[in-house]
Amino acid sequence: MADILIIGGGIIGVTLAHELVRRGEDVTLLEKRFIGSGSTFRCGTGIRQQFNDEANVQLMKRSVELWKKYSEEYGFSFQQTGYLFLLYDDDEVTEFKKNIAIQNKFGVPTRLITPEEAKEIVPLLDISEVVAASWNPTDGKADPFHSTAAFALHAKEMGAKFYERTEVKDIIIKNGEIKGVKTNRGVFKTGIVVNATNAWAKLINAMAEVPVRIPIEPYKHQAVITQPIKAGSINPMVISFKYGHAYLTQTAHGGVVGGVGYEEGPIYDLNPSYAFLKEVSYYFTKIIPALGELLILRTWAGYYAETPDGNAAIGRINEIDEFYIAAGFSGHGFMMAPAVAEMMADLIIKGRTALPAWWFDPYRFERGEFRTTAIQMG
Amino acid sequence: MRPLDLTEKDPSKKVTIYFEGKPYEAYEGEKIAVALLANGIYWLTTSTEGRKRGAFYFGPLPIVINGIKNMDGRKVPVRANMRIERQNYGEFQEEVKIDEKKPVLRYVVDVAIIGAGPAGLGALLEVQEHLTVALIEEKSWLGGDLWLKRVKQKGFDDEPQEVIKAMRDRFNQNVRVFLKTAAIGIFDEGEYFLIPAIRRNQLIEILSKRVVLATGAVDNILLFENNDMPSVFRRAFALEVMNIWGVAPGRKVAVVGSKPEEITAELERWGIDYVIVPNPKRVEGRESVERLIDMNGNVHDVDAVIVADGRRPDINPVTQAGGKLRFRRGYYMPILDMNHRIRDGIYAAGSAVSIKPHYANYLEGKLVGSHILKEFGFETEPCIYEEKLREYEPETVPLHRIEYDSMNLEDVQICGCDVSLKKVYDVVESGITDLQIIKRLTHLAMGFCQGRFCLFNGALLVSQRTGIDMTRIDLPVARPPIKNVRMKVVARRD
Ligand SMILES: Cc1cc2nc3c(=O)[nH]c(=O)nc-3n(C[C@H](O)[C@H](O)[C@H](O)COP(=O)(O)OP(=O)(O)OC[C@H]3O[C@@H](n4cnc5c(N)ncnc54)[C@H](O)[C@@H]3O)c2cc1C
Repeated sequence: MADILIIGGGIIGVTLAHELVRRGEDVTLLEKRFIGSGSTFRCGTGIRQQFNDEANVQLMKRSVELWKKYSEEYGFSFQQTGYLFLLYDDDEVTEFKKNIAIQNKFGVPTRLITPEEAKEIVPLLDISEVVAASWNPTDGKADPFHSTAAFALHAKEMGAKFYERTEVKDIIIKNGEIKGVKTNRGVFKTGIVVNATNAWAKLINAMAEVPVRIPIEPYKHQAVITQPIKAGSINPMVISFKYGHAYLTQTAHGGVVGGVGYEEGPIYDLNPSYAFLKEVSYYFTKIIPALGELLILRTWAGYYAETPDGNAAIGRINEIDEFYIAAGFSGHGFMMAPAVAEMMADLIIKGRTALPAWWFDPYRFERGEFRTTAIQMG
Repeated sequence: MRPLDLTEKDPSKKVTIYFEGKPYEAYEGEKIAVALLANGIYWLTTSTEGRKRGAFYFGPLPIVINGIKNMDGRKVPVRANMRIERQNYGEFQEEVKIDEKKPVLRYVVDVAIIGAGPAGLGALLEVQEHLTVALIEEKSWLGGDLWLKRVKQKGFDDEPQEVIKAMRDRFNQNVRVFLKTAAIGIFDEGEYFLIPAIRRNQLIEILSKRVVLATGAVDNILLFENNDMPSVFRRAFALEVMNIWGVAPGRKVAVVGSKPEEITAELERWGIDYVIVPNPKRVEGRESVERLIDMNGNVHDVDAVIVADGRRPDINPVTQAGGKLRFRRGYYMPILDMNHRIRDGIYAAGSAVSIKPHYANYLEGKLVGSHILKEFGFETEPCIYEEKLREYEPETVPLHRIEYDSMNLEDVQICGCDVSLKKVYDVVESGITDLQIIKRLTHLAMGFCQGRFCLFNGALLVSQRTGIDMTRIDLPVARPPIKNVRMKVVARRD
């Protein structure tokens, strides 16, 4: 018997298990493949507070605090090397000025800088068409492998039970009350289920017969990594909407990682495509010509679990006793995970939270209430 | 002759090249790494962690040529007055010209055959009368591993090079040969498969109705201390420098690994002094191997080491193309259907499938060709080849025990990208036993070769330390590009 059972061993499920067990709860986590095997190990490593609405800025501000705290405690790589949005015309500048005002209101120190200043930060940039850049030095990046593994390890050490290669096939509900879940490894009894399966969330919702419409669809997004180059060559995450909605940065290991807005779906398919390989190379070499000489080591695909407004569905489903969801994170679920875990743990244990959970209300779609579409790359 | 030349070279090709500022004799068209080897220079590049590296074991070989960094020292041919310098991994060229106008070469054929070893050639000869063929080969020669040998091979009536030349002479006008061309992946395009390939900096796109993976096997990597030191050779590279380029790997070499017979006859033919050391523990030297110490503490004074430990199928093209694997006879091999396919439209033959004599690989190529003809509606009898192939039982490759306790694991390189055996060992000992996670925490199989040379030893380590059977290990799948390609070569939007 598990008090709280989390389905999904991505960064969201793992940090939530970690947070709950830290607060003394009895937690079990089920993962159908291995920890991180969903979108988490396929992500672009970026962590930013540069959003275009108050809720995401607040949430990400808290998340960055937690990334800092846990990376220091657990010894994984989290670097505050900034996010640099390259802007190419007045419209973009006007829009980013608005965003910067929202960010500054919550103490996020983003500012508009000149192309020359941008080039000082990343000397390899081609700034010939850039008119300004939005720069926040406190954004950053973390290693998805070491961070997820560290949260999992510490959660387990504190007593959370993790079952990998364990796929939930059905949810047993009697009179509106959850009794357990069926898996390939037998039945796990529980009274509380958290759906943290992101791209697969609609399947778990279907198993639980969730009576509200929560549109989360899997879209294939791909990423590329090059040969490792000298450390410090591209410190921040560099963003260019003009060139393919691209994001790119250098990993702690030295390779240049990133992606562009090349999307397929909704579909459950993770085969990398040749069209992406060409397109990402085309755009990346426009942003940083020197990347042209680098060897591409590989590409891969993962899912953006997308909602109509690009914001996740986070909260309790009241019709089922007790069912929670935290899914639909698009291209920014990795960065939010520590704060989402805190918010979810509050909701599960106390039924309320100081963090802006209302923004992510899973009922909003049913009510036809959409949020400002969250800034998104890739 | 240069210090390590085995043969007289064509004097009309003689040029001077400069390495680290000093002049050396070289021959136009030679590989740079070979020209320097002939002059006794092994150390060509330095890894991120400061390890000296040569050209002939594993890991990338970035060097500076005429001031341009990050050139591939294994591929670039010698030109007169070339200036070559060592570099460190991670250095790259900051000024780049991207030629967007360079056209992509496009070809449409019935069958694309990847790999021109005996299996690929067998398939080609079987289908060429009726079907158009693109033969794609990364190396500069036809015949694959067979071409590297000079000793007559079972099943063939002639010496290897004669056999291959005779096959080459039979190619008809339906055949288009792409040498020095690396296929970087196999993609589905509905009725066709799309195979992008790279020749130098030229992008080639081949559309074909059927694909044959005759992509061969890779040499096993043996784990001992300083196994990545310059002048340690893989068997295939040792054969290549001797038999293709007429250059000796060293004056006195040690042969290590479970299959010394795969190289000793060739060493004897050239009169190269060798010693067989079945249990190497460590090699030492300043810029290249000066001595090898075995597990019993014996010291062998040698200037090069050849690792001849057998081969295993290269599974990367198979998994990238959507094939599944099984573990049998000591290696991972593709699961084939009754028609010798990894899936609809994609066939596999040769040592990409199993380790067996060259002639059996040739027969398997013919068999696959025959299946393809049948699919296109021609009268053929694949069962004839099937029958003949049965006479050749594939080899079992032994799984050796890695000597964790007798080696300093920090000095043993499991992967050419600065992954020591210790790094992987420690993660496994910390309780993480899933190769998928180990790979991501250590970077094993995440570098230049995508695991071609290191993944197997990773799986072996996991199996030996945890007792998990090799059959049950979740092996990572290779992703495109299956061969490294420069970003500028594929940078296009059309
Ligand atoms: C190419 C790419 C780049 C990205 N870049 C970034 C970035 O830079 N920054 C950022 O913040 N985000 C990024 N993202 C998004 C980020 O990866 C995701 O939002 C985040 O990983 C979501 O975590 P998760 O735990 O919700 O989902 P996942 O990691 O997908 O975890 C869900 C887990 O549920 C498991 N599961 C599914 N069904 C079942 C079942 N029936 N039983 C048991 N288990 C099940 C799955 O196997 C999976 O492991 C990127 C995504 C992609 C694809």
